[in-house]
Amino acid sequence: MSVIFPSLNWFEELRNRFNSNQRDNQVGVGTCDALVGVACGEKLFTVQFEAFECTNVMELEDESALENTDFYLELHPNDWKDMIINIKENNGAGLSFTLNTLDLELSDGLAKSWTEDQYRQDLFFRFNQTFQYFFDASADVETVFEEMDIA
Amino acid sequence: MTISKEELDLAPAVREFGEDNNLDLSWLDTRGEWGVRAEPSKRGLTLGDIQLGSYGEPGDHSDNMTGRPRGARARNDAYRVGGYKIRSKADIWLSNAHVLYEESLQRQWSSATDVPWNTIKPLPDDIERAQCQLATFLTEVEFVAAEVPGRWLAATTPDYFEPRMFLISQVMDESRHLDVFRKRAFANGGGLMQRPNVTTSGTVGSIDLSNDFTEMSSRLHITGEGSVLTIFRMGELMAYNEAEKTIYRLAAQDEARHVAFGVMHLRYLAETEPERKEEIHCYLDEGEGALVAGNQNPASRDTAQSEALAILLGGGEKNFDEGYRKLMAVRKRQAREYVQRVRSAGFGERFENGRANQELLAYTR
Repeated sequence: MSVIFPSLNWFEELRNRFNSNQRDNQVGVGTCDALVGVACGEKLFTVQFEAFECTNVMELEDESALENTDFYLELHPNDWKDMIINIKENNGAGLSFTLNTLDLELSDGLAKSWTEDQYRQDLFFRFNQTFQYFFDASADVETVFEEMDIA
Repeated sequence: MTISKEELDLAPAVREFGEDNNLDLSWLDTRGEWGVRAEPSKRGLTLGDIQLGSYGEPGDHSDNMTGRPRGARARNDAYRVGGYKIRSKADIWLSNAHVLYEESLQRQWSSATDVPWNTIKPLPDDIERAQCQLATFLTEVEFVAAEVPGRWLAATTPDYFEPRMFLISQVMDESRHLDVFRKRAFANGGGLMQRPNVTTSGTVGSIDLSNDFTEMSSRLHITGEGSVLTIFRMGELMAYNEAEKTIYRLAAQDEARHVAFGVMHLRYLAETEPERKEEIHCYLDEGEGALVAGNQNPASRDTAQSEALAILLGGGEKNFDEGYRKLMAVRKRQAREYVQRVRSAGFGERFENGRANQELLAYTR
């Protein structure tokens, strides 16, 4: 069954795949406690990681709610699409599409802090493998992309 | 949780046997708080889960010179075994050392088996030499980063074991970083290059001259490891195969933990002993000077390491200028992250009152 990106359904599907432990996600991972925001155009989500699981995903109505996140990941919708397609093609992010690479290649970065608290934003680095495995799990999700009104 | 006196007397048969045979069993009654039952959480049974009752958070000062485990009942005639210089909590404490320690244990990795070494293929000579120059630099730097915390382990009272054990995990992390970059240098037909001019005899070396733990931590964890964290992250941009990408990504996770330790320790100190803030600002003055000049920061300018980075980022000598442009963009990020970390640690006033290094701040604009 295919699901639309970006949507709450897509993130719920991703959460299920990630939690299912079917993928090889053991190297360099452990417990992870973080509230991560995701911004794709006008659509906003939060992804809650707790201990060894992704425990909750939510859609946000107001961007000010990003204040509660430890950090949020913001990409242009076309860049999200490219990343997800690359993950599908390679069964995991290729050399140019890991979260860290995207963060470095964008002038304003991929991981951002609403509160400019670098300690909380550094969770992106401390748990980077966990977040990478989370998005890599999208290789198992049949994704279709919403036509968005994008500049 | 405490239990009744009757429950405490768990061994009447043993006591009777002792009395019958003139055995001294008084040790049965000398113990710390009893009846403690720690419950595992969804994270397992963590150090946080056993911080209970009198075994929990230690006092502001420790007179424990005998190696007595925190919360154990003291033995009056025990002799001193430790030269514990660090016996004031603010000297080493942070609110989440136990969390960072558990995180470290869980996120360990093996440079031998978790890196897909077979993905390394022959590279153009200029790229291979640049990788090896950087590997030489990082091998040396990580040696220092392992050595320095080690000096403070035996100086710390057992009452503050959480930060002490985190430092032990850091020694392991840095040792792995040393070995993985050494392995990379030998993995593809290259080898070690010339040792950088002033790496461990400059600011990096001066970390080891610190007389005070916080002095060491501000230099090592904030200015030193903060900048190396950026280099490790940048490694993914200049990786030419999955092996190099894996090395840098996993090393960056480790380094981010060490930086977090430093930020949270400084935050604790700023909150509990604000009279020491001026002293800490002096250490940051020194550290910022090192961030903008000299060989200790591979993202600085006109060093063998910075040129190696430019070659790697650009894709070869012929694209040096493009690589250098990328390097300067990363340097800007490095400076911004440093500023935000120092703010987060509670020392942000230096960026408002003109004290911060202006050359460093120029990179953030």
